[in-house]
Amino acid sequence: MTEKQNQEMEDQKLLGLLAQFEDPVSLVHACNEARESGYNKIDAFSPFPVHGIDPALGIPRTILPFFVLIIGLTGCAVGLGMQYYANAGDWSDLFPGYNFMISGKPFFSLPANIPVTFEVVVLSSAIATFLGMWALNRLPRLANPLHRISRFKRVTNDKFFLLVETKDPKFSREETESQLNQWGASVIEEVHEDLTDQQLPSWLQLVGLMTALILLIPPVLIFRAEGMTNRKPRLHVIPDMDWQEKYKTQTLAPNLGDEKHPVFLFVDGRAMQEPIPGTIARGNLYTDSEYYRGIKSGTESFATLQSAGARTGLQDDASQDKSGQDKPDQDPTADEKPAEPAEPDWVTQFPPNVNVDQALLERGQQRFNIYCSACHGYAGNGDGLVNARAMALAASGQATWTTAKSLNDPEIIKNPVGRIFDTISNGRGTMGPYKSQIPVEDRWAIVAYVRALQGTGLQPVTVTQADEETVEK
Amino acid sequence: MHEVQPAKITSPVVSLKDNYVRLIPIALAVAAAGIGGALLLSLDMQRFSYAYLTCFCTLMSLCLGGLFFVIVMHLTRAGWSVTVRRIAEIIAMCTLPMFILYLPILIPLMMGSDEVYIWNVEGWSIHGDEAHKQEVLAEASYPPPIEELKAMYLNRWFFGGRMIAYFLIWGAMAWFFLGNSLKQDQTGDKNLTAKMQKHSTWIMIVFAGTLVFSSFDFEMSLSPFWFSTMWPVYFFAGSMLSALAAITLIAIWLQRTGRVTDEITVEHYHDLGKLMFSFVVFWGYIAFSQFMLIWYANIPEETFWYAWRINPNSAGVMTGWQWFSLVLLFGHLLIPLLALMARTVRRSKNFLLYAAIYLLIMHWIDHYWIVMPQYSEIVSHPTGPAAGLTFHFNALVDIPCAIGMAGVFVALFCLIARDRPLVPLKDPRLGEALAHHNP
Repeated sequence: MTEKQNQEMEDQKLLGLLAQFEDPVSLVHACNEARESGYNKIDAFSPFPVHGIDPALGIPRTILPFFVLIIGLTGCAVGLGMQYYANAGDWSDLFPGYNFMISGKPFFSLPANIPVTFEVVVLSSAIATFLGMWALNRLPRLANPLHRISRFKRVTNDKFFLLVETKDPKFSREETESQLNQWGASVIEEVHEDLTDQQLPSWLQLVGLMTALILLIPPVLIFRAEGMTNRKPRLHVIPDMDWQEKYKTQTLAPNLGDEKHPVFLFVDGRAMQEPIPGTIARGNLYTDSEYYRGIKSGTESFATLQSAGARTGLQDDASQDKSGQDKPDQDPTADEKPAEPAEPDWVTQFPPNVNVDQALLERGQQRFNIYCSACHGYAGNGDGLVNARAMALAASGQATWTTAKSLNDPEIIKNPVGRIFDTISNGRGTMGPYKSQIPVEDRWAIVAYVRALQGTGLQPVTVTQADEETVEK
Repeated sequence: MHEVQPAKITSPVVSLKDNYVRLIPIALAVAAAGIGGALLLSLDMQRFSYAYLTCFCTLMSLCLGGLFFVIVMHLTRAGWSVTVRRIAEIIAMCTLPMFILYLPILIPLMMGSDEVYIWNVEGWSIHGDEAHKQEVLAEASYPPPIEELKAMYLNRWFFGGRMIAYFLIWGAMAWFFLGNSLKQDQTGDKNLTAKMQKHSTWIMIVFAGTLVFSSFDFEMSLSPFWFSTMWPVYFFAGSMLSALAAITLIAIWLQRTGRVTDEITVEHYHDLGKLMFSFVVFWGYIAFSQFMLIWYANIPEETFWYAWRINPNSAGVMTGWQWFSLVLLFGHLLIPLLALMARTVRRSKNFLLYAAIYLLIMHWIDHYWIVMPQYSEIVSHPTGPAAGLTFHFNALVDIPCAIGMAGVFVALFCLIARDRPLVPLKDPRLGEALAHHNP
């Protein structure tokens, strides 16, 4: 070390004393002595981990495990919450979640979500351990004044060092040095503050700026391309995902053989097969006849079901049972119509699981006003707007129209509730079926409301009458 | 070979001395009273056989875990575990006499009984009275091919032959390690350690093979239609966990009675505690993996096994087995997971004592949950798996049987340990183990 450098270093602020030791045992011994003498701003450096150095330096056990535990538990909650939101979340307009019914599986089921939760816990714990270790060690640190001491370089090879910082309240230049000597230090050096230029070199700043600018180009190009039309075909990154080797549903399968020896996926040449006769989609087994069809349980004989007709949905199975194998693949709607359909045994009371109360009637009124009032009118007298318009057109010969029934007609009032339900579900005469639009419970609500309307026996209230009433008041 | 500190045994007592002469009769009396009491109280050979098989499998898997511990410590050239390895060696040596304990199951089986293993009769998928079996067998389409195929593996002669082979192989392995280690106590020959290390390689492979197929045979074949390739891992996870608990428990017992007081330190308990913790997690990981794959695939051929243990029976009544499933989920995984997590806890001998006893009880419950629903399944619906399922926990039969089997274990341990040293006296890594220190 030259005189000049020495002079420089003396001007700089003293950070501490660095003592060199020749073996780990004397280092641990010195650490113990230093701790027992009351030093607490000390640190040891060695080429390999030395057993017992932590208690010798008086370093308390790390709090990292607790930190990791907390982060891990948070990760557990976040992982579960994320999956709940992505599969079953349905709570607000702003973040509605994605509770889509997929393959009839439950929206949220714990076993399916454990693996992802587990992975999130492991990942968050690992990252927390890694970053927590850095943070607790005050890393990253690009420079350390110790690195300027050439002797210190051997810390990665065969020498052991103990640093006593000037920040330590017990530190005093002379006394500490004599103590370190006493504890077996072979060499003692002063550690000075590093006052060299800490600015980044200007060429490095330029390179950084250039890199940042270059990195901006791709996002700018993407942003520009977003608002442009392009006649080129799109880029197919994974072609076998875009053009899959598969047959589309409801198509003919191509002949894989030749003209003389055709080979098809299935013998009938279709690309997909019909469901096995008698199979019913999950959740569509409507065994409660009173509730789903308005027919008394146990009386739904073949004849009555067929008269309830194409509409109950059971007809497909029934007709196949009847026609046997000599009439294959016949379109079920093309069946000959039964001459005089026998009237099924309709239920006269509401089914037990329909609870007729104010809420049901209000629901029924709302649904009735939406679906039925257009033709049948708000009071059920058959004077809805559609009806009025159609009658006007019919009168001038521009349309044919059968008058919508008044629900207050004594003949209609006589109908049991089951028949009204069946009429709503499957239609009657020129009225179309509504079972695809209106769920079962809403249809029963409408039946209840129709019954209530029939009970009032209201006569048509025309617009003019209503106006007169208001004028009189 | 890593050899730093000179090894020196300082404990005044390092063996059971003459105490084993006194301990063996007591343990055997407990065993006879427990198992005999279970037999008398059950008043039913089939019910007793199932209770006995539960306890047998619990102890058998524990001994196999001990054998694995010994092999893996040689395989990894572990230094820390030398002071507790002798305990594991003695536990491992118990595998050979365990064959005698299996005879109450194996002899009736060889004589044609299908009371425990229902595949041991022609037309085995049908349980129930003889007339019903004959009726079903008379039908032309019966037996279906799956039973015929399985009968190639599950037949009494092959099964009995396999059993003899397993126990001979395990006994030979255990004696190889225990015998050489004991020889080293006399001679101090370091080459014996090198020899054990060298042979632990292929021994581990043979051990894995026998463990896999024996786990199929002991417990999975109770439900011969069911299959799970995860099963041996599940069996192994519980087995290693129970062996670690047993090693800890025995070490604490030995030290509390004034033996090997200096050699087994808190550092070794800490490491055993860490391993226990990791195998609690491993058991839970494997148990859940097995469950989740079956749950997700939802194939009736696989789900019925879990359905019996979790779902209500076909009459819609909860049987009681679901409580066992919940006890396993919380008691075998979640509670010990949290309890063994902290370092201070794992360094507390008192806590580890309770944790070891607790985990051994949980291990028994685990095997109870595996074995006993099969008994319920057989006796509650003689006409096939469609009918209802009932619950068969009887504390008066099962608990005495478990206590009796614990007595058997103590007797076997003392019989093998005798006045032999309970630590390897001249192992070249003994010094490393004595100086072992957890950072």
